[in-house]
Amino acid sequence: MAVRRETGGWGVNHGMQAFVEVRDLTLRFSGVTALEDVGFDVGGGQICGLVGPNGAGKSSLFNCVSGYYRPSAGSIRVAGQDVLGVPAHRKVRLGIARTFQHPALQPERTVLDNVLLGGHSTLPGSVLSAMLALPGGRRRERALAAEARELLALLGLAGVERTPAGDLPYGSQKRVEIARALLSRPRLLLLDEPASGLTHAEVGELGELITRIRADHDLTVIVVEHHMGLISAVTDHVVALVGGRKVAEGTAQAVQSDPVVVSAYLGVA
Amino acid sequence: MSLMIDLVKPDGGAARRPYGRMLTGAALVIVLAVFPLVMSPFANLQVTLTLVYAVAILGLDILVGWTGQVSLGQSAFFGIGAYGVAVCADRGWPVWAGLLFGVVLAGVVGCLVAVPAARLRGYALGMITLTLPVVAVPLAKRLEVVTGGAQGLNVTIAEAPEWTGLAADQWHYYVVAAGAALVFALAAALRRSHFGRAFDAVRVDEALATAQGVHVTRYKVLAFTLSAVYGGFAGVLYVVAVQFISPETLILTLSISLLAGLAIGGLRSLLGCVLGAAFYVVVPNVTGEVSAGQSYLLYGVCLLAVMLLMPRGVAPALDRVVRNVAGRRGRAVAPGD
Ligand SMILES: Nc1ncnc2c1ncn2[C@@H]1O[C@H](COP(=O)(O)OP(=O)(O)O)[C@@H](O)[C@H]1O
Ligand SMILES: [Mg+2]
Repeated sequence: MAVRRETGGWGVNHGMQAFVEVRDLTLRFSGVTALEDVGFDVGGGQICGLVGPNGAGKSSLFNCVSGYYRPSAGSIRVAGQDVLGVPAHRKVRLGIARTFQHPALQPERTVLDNVLLGGHSTLPGSVLSAMLALPGGRRRERALAAEARELLALLGLAGVERTPAGDLPYGSQKRVEIARALLSRPRLLLLDEPASGLTHAEVGELGELITRIRADHDLTVIVVEHHMGLISAVTDHVVALVGGRKVAEGTAQAVQSDPVVVSAYLGVA
Repeated sequence: MSLMIDLVKPDGGAARRPYGRMLTGAALVIVLAVFPLVMSPFANLQVTLTLVYAVAILGLDILVGWTGQVSLGQSAFFGIGAYGVAVCADRGWPVWAGLLFGVVLAGVVGCLVAVPAARLRGYALGMITLTLPVVAVPLAKRLEVVTGGAQGLNVTIAEAPEWTGLAADQWHYYVVAAGAALVFALAAALRRSHFGRAFDAVRVDEALATAQGVHVTRYKVLAFTLSAVYGGFAGVLYVVAVQFISPETLILTLSISLLAGLAIGGLRSLLGCVLGAAFYVVVPNVTGEVSAGQSYLLYGVCLLAVMLLMPRGVAPALDRVVRNVAGRRGRAVAPGD
């Protein structure tokens, strides 16, 4: 599957198929409508920002893509394939990887082990061959560990690979999650508030990093973030949600100055 | 040697200490090998039984410690393995056939129970697994023709070959030790593989596990099945050790004691499984010596005391002590620190 790269545009590719197509997505919990008729496209190789105040439905949208939530209406297509019918544990095989708003790590295990978990779906083999520690399996494991170390170096975590992940500061834990997601060799990466817990300087580095991994790993990225500096720096295209509805879409600059978005942020601040 | 795998903690000092570790391992193997030659049959049986229960506890650890499930059914799988090999021996079948029969039957029953159980958690899972020993004990009593009923079965299996010149207790010690070492090594390898990471992920956060491509239910069923297989294998080793099985052996109390042993030793530690088993086997002897009438009470007091002093178990507590000592020594020799 070749990923068609588009640069410059917004990813609203009239007449062309977008890499991610969200259509009429509606998600209801008892009493709460988390998403209502949300639709947007993300072109292949683009970085799409997803902004909006807390409770806007951003994480819920990720959870629909991941298969944790079952929307009551609408569709999500990735590379032309309907992903809503695919069970959650198969998403990674479709090339969809994500990080979580609250870092979900194995706190007792080392940082390296946590990243290696991201490569789970790339390691075949039976329980028996794992128990017998057959050479083939061990070779694959070593190769994966080498790849994981490279990713840790890329994310500035080379020095802590043997530290228990639970001992890391919040911001570093979020970067471990990115490394773990990348090890699954995704085509679509969903980042849920990657800049939370980072210092101002670190947010700048994160921005460069996201642009770099997009290019190096041939990725399409959707990033949920409150940090408008980061959104402006990295995104090709921004979608704003308020109360589960899409209220604005366009360049970061246009969305930031959109009166509905501004008043929504002021309303909750 | 397999015990050592768990002790190899990936810390900065690893490069400096492989010799120490190899020496400790070699010393341990030599002590364990010489032990039955110089000790009494009673002492040999204590160590043999400790290894038997260590295997059963290790199986429980895969389910409880690794995967975060709970089971009160381990004594039933222990019983299936034990009766499997004993019944086969009773009919004159070779011991390997009995071993295979017992272990496979335990695994099959484990898998059948696991399929519905994997969708439950907490108390519900505890309750459904509780039924296993509750059903298994009367079943063993009723199926008298096969199982010998309440009297149990006396068998003679794994006799010492003539050329060894070993007494039964010594030979059984070696057989059980070899069997336990083998399955400990298998579990250690599994834990270090991507399966070990996946089991951990299921325990820590099911959504996280799912996002990495781990089918949570399938891994729970797998853990339950492996746990049952280890329980069954421990049952086989038990019959090797005592040459006898009766319904009394697989009562619910054993399941609870094995869980207590796991908690005492510490979760996710091979050494912990052995220490927990040693506690279960050895402490009642000591408390019985102290006061025959109050033995159970004293055992309970010991259990409470250990859990209060070392809430995460003995093995993690030991690990912390070793690391502190090593850390202090490392600091003492570091120049200009
Ligand atoms: N599992 C759930 N059960 C019930 N309501 C939920 C659940 N997940 C999210 N919601 C609700 O959906 C809305 C959107 O939440 P969320 O997607 O987490 O917002 P955001 O990530 O934009 O802050 C909120 O009102 C939230 O309370
Ligand atoms: Mg959120």
